[in-house]
Amino acid sequence: MISTGAMIQGQEEVRQRLVLHAPLAVQILTGFIRDAIDTTGTAGIVLGMSGGVDSALAAALAVRGLGPERVQALVLPYRSSSADSLADAQAVAATLGIETRTIDISPMVDAYFESETDADPVRRGNMMARQRMAVLFDQAKKRRALVLGTSNKTEILLGYSTIFGDNASSINPLGDLYKQQIWQLSRHLGLPERVVAKQPSADLWPGQTDEGDLGFDYATADEVLFLLFDEGCTPEEVVERGYPEEVVRRITELERENRFKRRLMLIARLSGSAVNLDREIPRD
Amino acid sequence: MDRPSPRLRVGLAQIDSRLGDLEHNVERHLRWIGEAREKAVELLLFPELSLTGYRLLHLTPRVAIHPRSSPLIARLSEAAGPMSVVVGLVEEDDHGVLYNSALLLHRGEIAHIHHKCYLPTYGIFQEGRFFGEGQRLGLASLDGTPLGLLICEDLWHAEVARRLARGGAKILAVISASPGRIGAGERPTSQDDWEVLTRSAALMNTSWVLYCNRVGWEEGSFYTGGSHIVRPGGEVLVRAPYLDEHLLVADLDLRDADRLRWRLPLLRAERTDLEGP
Repeated sequence: MISTGAMIQGQEEVRQRLVLHAPLAVQILTGFIRDAIDTTGTAGIVLGMSGGVDSALAAALAVRGLGPERVQALVLPYRSSSADSLADAQAVAATLGIETRTIDISPMVDAYFESETDADPVRRGNMMARQRMAVLFDQAKKRRALVLGTSNKTEILLGYSTIFGDNASSINPLGDLYKQQIWQLSRHLGLPERVVAKQPSADLWPGQTDEGDLGFDYATADEVLFLLFDEGCTPEEVVERGYPEEVVRRITELERENRFKRRLMLIARLSGSAVNLDREIPRD
Repeated sequence: MDRPSPRLRVGLAQIDSRLGDLEHNVERHLRWIGEAREKAVELLLFPELSLTGYRLLHLTPRVAIHPRSSPLIARLSEAAGPMSVVVGLVEEDDHGVLYNSALLLHRGEIAHIHHKCYLPTYGIFQEGRFFGEGQRLGLASLDGTPLGLLICEDLWHAEVARRLARGGAKILAVISASPGRIGAGERPTSQDDWEVLTRSAALMNTSWVLYCNRVGWEEGSFYTGGSHIVRPGGEVLVRAPYLDEHLLVADLDLRDADRLRWRLPLLRAERTDLEGP
């Protein structure tokens, strides 16, 4: 893992600019969830709770926006999921005053891999993420509810997600929040410090951590992405400020390679009236 | 002496609109018109594209109307009675061009139409793809009081307000559908930008500025609200809350603009003959 020890020019200003007014952000994001439920005429939301901070924050926002009775939290473990994660999910649910339902996805995932014995951990991890998505959308259909997304801006920009898996949702209140903004709002809402402070992990195999997979820490990633994506700096300008060249290069590559995950449905245009290209119809 | 009354009660209807649903939005306008009339409002503003919602994209032509023959506008006009009302809509002209328009209804008539002159087409904004640019500025008259109408981005280009004020407007009415952004401050950063603009416009043009912004959500983007009225000189007189629907009512003394102009004669001193760039 590469970390940034040296002085970085303007780093304090970048960090300050990533700070949000937490009560205002919470007010707006709870309004977003409420508005989506009102305009679609749905009964509430379902979401998957992993025990991590992103789903904890999403659940907290939903409970504030809709009340606990309209929020169905599902814990969807695979047999290798860590016991700590499940305990953390329960702790968050207890803090928020919501019930959880646990559905074990192991038999569904294993049934497929019985005949795909050569699958590597990434394929298996992707299948788990998509199986959770399939369960969430089915539960949403059953309850006439929306699936609440939990992907944050850092992972969306880095493509650190499974396409049509954990990045799939009906609405996502967290997608314009960098990871450190997730931490900031979670602390503001009083989520268990254990959940906020722990090392982020997709928990797709034992011992996996996000920062280990990515090769850099979230704090650095957020700052570099803010400079590249929000501010429009070139990678060279970011390196000149003192961020490690290797990290900036890797982040730039990931951002470029994973753009396909952010633009779903690539349609071959023939007619001059192609969906989303020539006819961009708002969904609201 | 025959002078317009120096006092005017204005109302800013900071509403949400349902995207692409004219019927629903007309009903909503009628409710707010009723409430404003109960409060004896004389000039009521609705936000930009209040009858249609803002982020229409390819729905734009489906909600376009010819205001002079539209039964919806006739209903609004009738409900307004003696109150003057500004609404925002998609207007189609006889050449098939669509405009982002502000319509002033005054005593049963369409007294003035402003076509938005500056169509933001950058970032989240796509207006230039769907609308034609307004080509002319004009002044509306409220029983002898000249009124300048602007739509949102028009205020970001200083000469629009300047020309309306130099042409005689003492009230600049800005209707808006401005997507919100936040940062570390308790006030949305988008609101900070707007108040810099509205307050400077009120100071530099020695005019009243009325700013009516919408609330609600469209496609993941929220509108801030925060509608406000700025006195000639730049002091915020009243401000609506952020994010919630609200009817903001205040009484203006129109002579305030004249009194400021006596001691701060910026408009009188304007030079249009300077050489150079």
